[in-house]
Amino acid sequence: MSLLLKLALAAGASVFLATVQAAPATPGVTDREIVVGTISDLSGPIALLGVPVRDGLLMRFDEANAAGGVHGRKIRLVVEDSGYDPKRAVLAARKLVQRDQAFAFIADMGTPVVMASMPVIVDAGRLHLFPFSPHESTYLPLHPLKFQNFAPYQTYMEAATRHMVQAHGYQRSCLLYQDDDYGLEVMKGVEAALGKLGRPLVDKTSYKRGATDLSSQVARLRGAGCDFVVLATVVRETVAAMSEARRIGWKVDMLVTASGYSAQTHELGGAAVEGLYGVSVLPHPYAEGANKQLADWIQRYRKRYGVDPNVWSVMGYTLADMFVHTAEAAGPQLTIDGFARTLEKFDFTRDYFGSPEYRFSPTDHLGNRYGRLAQIRNGKWELISDYLK
Amino acid sequence: MLAVVQVLISGVALGCVYGLVALSFVLIYKATETVSFMQGELLMLGAFAALGLHLGAGWPLAAGALAAVAGTALLGAAFERIALRHAVGRPHLVAVLLTFGLGLMLRGAVASVPAAVQETYRLPLAADVVQIGAVTLAGGQLLVIAATLLIAALLTLFFRATRTGLALRALSEDARIAALMGVPVARMHTLAWALGAGLAALAGLLLAPLTFIHLNMGLVALKAFPAAVLGGLTSLPGALVAGLFLGVVEALAGLMLPEGVKDVVPYALLMLGLLLFPAGFGAGRAGR
Repeated sequence: MSLLLKLALAAGASVFLATVQAAPATPGVTDREIVVGTISDLSGPIALLGVPVRDGLLMRFDEANAAGGVHGRKIRLVVEDSGYDPKRAVLAARKLVQRDQAFAFIADMGTPVVMASMPVIVDAGRLHLFPFSPHESTYLPLHPLKFQNFAPYQTYMEAATRHMVQAHGYQRSCLLYQDDDYGLEVMKGVEAALGKLGRPLVDKTSYKRGATDLSSQVARLRGAGCDFVVLATVVRETVAAMSEARRIGWKVDMLVTASGYSAQTHELGGAAVEGLYGVSVLPHPYAEGANKQLADWIQRYRKRYGVDPNVWSVMGYTLADMFVHTAEAAGPQLTIDGFARTLEKFDFTRDYFGSPEYRFSPTDHLGNRYGRLAQIRNGKWELISDYLK
Repeated sequence: MLAVVQVLISGVALGCVYGLVALSFVLIYKATETVSFMQGELLMLGAFAALGLHLGAGWPLAAGALAAVAGTALLGAAFERIALRHAVGRPHLVAVLLTFGLGLMLRGAVASVPAAVQETYRLPLAADVVQIGAVTLAGGQLLVIAATLLIAALLTLFFRATRTGLALRALSEDARIAALMGVPVARMHTLAWALGAGLAALAGLLLAPLTFIHLNMGLVALKAFPAAVLGGLTSLPGALVAGLFLGVVEALAGLMLPEGVKDVVPYALLMLGLLLFPAGFGAGRAGR
């Protein structure tokens, strides 16, 4: 072997070694940045949730970057739009895993989307954090990469129903539910609560998604003599059910799930929804009566996006905040495993948004199980209880 | 008893909307032998157009509503001129798929307005409550019922007493002979699409006080189409009656039948109806 060839080989080998050593040990993490992916719905049926969540995430990450980043690394959020389509979600997940080398996925949106894309993400060994899919499989069985903040509807509707029935002494509880997985899950929660109190579910009636008129359902529940109606509805049907009841002069108490806890409910429903009870997992950020920090935050949000924030903006911001704090605490040598183990030890105390405490442990990856009760009073949601344990 | 009356009236009002949309299906089918699958989208577009003109551009509601119906009718005519005309003489599926595609485009166009996707709206139309004896009625319901009666009367007049109406009827009897008799077939087709589109938009406006204006309100067409079929697909009174029938049966089933059965019964009755009246309500038992 000539000297020249030896030299060339040695040079080649050293270049090869150097490349191997310089390759990032952790996907998506370099000296200068951390890549975080999110699969949202910006154009489909739940774009009204996806857009504010994305805006909240971006705002918090940009603030962290402006303050010098996390251990000198800037966080780069790569947003993919699934349009609530599982097929597009899988493509987006592959793109984020392979091309963008996302370190973690945060706040992926919509149960069908999450069910389709979560295996791709977890099989690639990336973190799957806080998806907007209140489904057990996002944290059970325990998986080192899966973390969730939002409990299944069943969990907090059980507590909310139990609390309402105990506090008000309702004798005849009823349910109006959407005829799909969401409605059935709420039903399980309501039945569990009533079971514990030894009371029956007096009557239940359903509607098909997209139903236009709930007068027969409301008349039926009234006929059954209900004194308390749990609504497993979304905004439109919540307003329709309340309006119909008030129109026929039926003054029954109604409690809606967190899906109906939205400023749209009282904007759309007006006087008819006055007195409606709801379950809140995070308070709506009203500017009026806000504490100093919250008022500042609302100002910043308005200035940046030109619209008022809603509860979804707060959720996006809070989730990004949890990511930033965990990454800080995980130290300068950021790895996927290190991040996950840090998150397992982290306690997130309550903040100026009025959020619950989020707490994970090595055996429990669901951060919060509790909702609190709210009621529409004078045209806005007022919180009337603390988080119900 | 009071509850039954109350629910019955809700059912009649909703049935009127089904009936109106069914009418729009039938109008188009009669003249052009095409089943239009964009009626739901036209309905949604009409409602959004009125909303946009009223809330966005600050027009008075009546003017906005009128312009929305007229505009949607013009759009229907334009679709016929540009696209649907070329499907005449081809297999039926071509025109059906065309309407599908046009519907998707309409939906896409409305969805490209962020405010339309992100919010649900209410039209400040007949929002009052009317008390008649012990029965409380929503203004919107009365409006729907009154408007449907009016439209039915106007359409009857149009088809019985005007030359254009007669020409349209002749066309639906036999297009070739009508053409030989001097009926301008192409122009009549344009008119039929315009009428069908305008009627759908009107149904959208009438539906708005009962429900809300949102991207998926066109789903009501899924109920109206069976009504049109039950009505016989070529009979205008048949479509209206079948729409009413479906609305009322649905409402009463929801009130009286046990959970689980109530969603099946309207469709079971629909099938029974088709079994007894194979050519639709319009043809009567003679259609057997």
